[in-house]
Amino acid sequence: MKKQVKRLAIIVTVTVVAFLIGRWDSALYPGPVGEITRVHQTQSQDTTDEFNNQDSQITQKLTVKMINRSDHVIHVENDYMNSQAMTTKFKVGDQVLLKKQNGEFQVDTIKRDSTLLALIAFFLASTFVYVRFTKMSFLLLSLVVNAAIFAGAILIDVHSKIMPVFLLFALLAIILAIVSLRLVLGRTKQARITLLSTIIATALAMGIMALVLKMTGSAGVHFETMSFVTQVPTPIFYAQATIGVLGAVMDESADIVAGLFGLHRESPHRPFRDYRDAGLSVGREILGTLTNVLFMIFIAETIPMVVLMLRNGNNWSYITDQVMNLGILQTVVSAIGIVWAVPVTAGITAALLRHRDEEEEARL
Amino acid sequence: MNAIFVLVALLFLSLLIVGGQQGLKTFFGLMLNFILIFALIVLVNLGFNAYIVTAVIAVMILSVAIYLSAGRGKVLALAWKTSVVVTTIVALLAFLTQYFAQIQGYTLENSDELEGLSLNIGISFSHLVMIVMVISALGAIAEASMAVTSDLFEVIERSPEITKDSLAAHAETIGSQILGTAVNTLFFGMLGANIPLLVWYVRLHYSVAEFVNGKLLVMEVATMLLGMIGILLSIWLSTTMVERTYRKEGRKILDESDL
Repeated sequence: MKKQVKRLAIIVTVTVVAFLIGRWDSALYPGPVGEITRVHQTQSQDTTDEFNNQDSQITQKLTVKMINRSDHVIHVENDYMNSQAMTTKFKVGDQVLLKKQNGEFQVDTIKRDSTLLALIAFFLASTFVYVRFTKMSFLLLSLVVNAAIFAGAILIDVHSKIMPVFLLFALLAIILAIVSLRLVLGRTKQARITLLSTIIATALAMGIMALVLKMTGSAGVHFETMSFVTQVPTPIFYAQATIGVLGAVMDESADIVAGLFGLHRESPHRPFRDYRDAGLSVGREILGTLTNVLFMIFIAETIPMVVLMLRNGNNWSYITDQVMNLGILQTVVSAIGIVWAVPVTAGITAALLRHRDEEEEARL
Repeated sequence: MNAIFVLVALLFLSLLIVGGQQGLKTFFGLMLNFILIFALIVLVNLGFNAYIVTAVIAVMILSVAIYLSAGRGKVLALAWKTSVVVTTIVALLAFLTQYFAQIQGYTLENSDELEGLSLNIGISFSHLVMIVMVISALGAIAEASMAVTSDLFEVIERSPEITKDSLAAHAETIGSQILGTAVNTLFFGMLGANIPLLVWYVRLHYSVAEFVNGKLLVMEVATMLLGMIGILLSIWLSTTMVERTYRKEGRKILDESDL
C-alpha cells in the first residue's frame, strides 16, 4: 500500500512540474504572451436563433499582463457565447497568445502547451513507475520514431506533386509496422511472422473495401463530407483507414503469434491443427474488445457535430449520412480487418511453426 | 445497393464464421453500443445533465464491452470493476484538461463544414468535448483490463505452484506486452484519423506555436493521451486487483464455472 502511495506521489509531482514548466516557457515564443489577471463581465445578452435555441452572449473585459516580450498591462475585450462553440470564456490565470490587429492587441488563442506537457508527463511518469525503464524505453522509442516517420510522410505528401497519396501512405503503413515490431519484439522470427500476418490481413481488409465500393459505385458513402480536405478525399480516406486498421491488426496478430510461440516453446512437436485451433481461440477472445476500441474512437469524435446538426433542425438520417458516415465506414472496415486477421495469423503461424518441425524431423 | 450495408453484412458473416457464437455476441455488442451512443446524444440534446448522462452511459458501454466478451465470470467481474474505476479517473483528467486547455468546439479551420449552421445552440461544447474524451477511452480501457485479467488468470490456472512473487513477475511481463500493443493501436488510430488536419496545418505553414497550442490538434492529442493513460491505469489496477484476490483467496480464485 505504502509503495502505491509513493508511486502516486511521484506521478503527481512530475505532472505538476511539467505543467509549471509549460507555464514558464513563454520566453520561447516569438509572439507576445500574456496572463489574465482580472476578468470583468460588462454585458450579457440572451439570444435566440432561428431554431429556438436559447443562448447568451457575454462580453468580458480582460486585464492581461504581458509576460514575455514586455511587462505592459493591456486591456482586451472578449465576446463569447455561453455554449462556446467557437468562442472561449477566459478566466483569471489563463495564459494567452496575443496578436496585434489594427494596432490593438487581441487574444489569439489560449496557451495549451502546459496542459499537453502535463498529460505527456503523466503518461511517461506512470509508465516508468509501473514497469522497468529498459522495457518501456523501446516502446517509447518506437512511438517517437513512428511519429517522425509519419511527419516525413506528411511533408512528402504536401510537397511532392507526383507521389500518389494512397501509395505513399500504404508504404508508410508498412514502414511503421516494421519499425514498431522491430523495436518491441526485436529481430526475431516472432516479429517477422507478426509483420507478415499484419500486412496480409490489412491488405485483405482494404481490398475488400475497395471491391465493395467499386461494385456498389460507392453508394451511400460520402467522401465529400471529410473535414479539412486540401486534396481529393477518397485516397486520403483509404490512407486513414489503412493506418487505423494496421494498428489494430498488429495488436491482435502480435497477441496471437505470442500465444502460439508460447505453445511451441512448451512442446514443439504439434500438428498444424493444434496451432491453428489455439490461434483461433486466442483471436476469438480478443476480437470483441478490440473492435470496440476503434469503434469508440471513431464514433465519439462525431458527437459534438451530431448535436450541433440536431439543434439546427436536421433529421437523423441526414446526420448519419453527413456526419457519421465515414466514421461508421471506418469502424466497419477496421472490424473486418480485425476479424480476418484471426484466421490469417493463426493459419500463417501454424503453417510456419509446423514447417520448422518437419524440417527438423527430416534432418534427424 | 448501399456499400456500408454490404460491408456490415460481410462483417456479420465473417464474425459468424470466425467467431461462431462469440462472434454473434461481438456483433450484438457493437450494435448495442451504437444504440447507447445514440441514446447519449439524444439525452444530451434534450438538455439532461451531461455529467450524469455520460456517467450512466459510460458504465453501460463498459458493461456491454466486457460482459459480452468471452471469459470466466470472475475475470469479467474484476475487469468491470477495474474499468469503472479507471474511467472515473480518466473522466477527472478529462475535466482538468478541458478546464486548463479549453479545447471545446471549433475554430476558423472548420468554417467550411459549419457554413449555414447556427452555433448558438445553448448546449455547452465544453461538456461535449469532455464526453468525446471519456467515450474515446472506454474501448481501450475495457480491452486492457480484460486482457490483463484473463491472462493472469490463465497463468494462475496453468501453474498450480505459483507464488505471489512469481505471479507479480509474470504480471509485469504480460502488462508491458499489452501496454506496448494497445498503445500502438491508439497511436496508429490517431495518426490515421488526423492525416487531413496535419496536411492542412503543414500546407498553410502553421508556426510551431500554432501546432502546440492549436485547439483542434491539442484536442486530438489530449484524447489520445487520455486513452493511453487509461490503458496504463487499467493494466496497473487489474494487476493489483488480481494479485490481491489471489493473496486473499488463494487457488479458490479459480472456483467458478465459465460463463
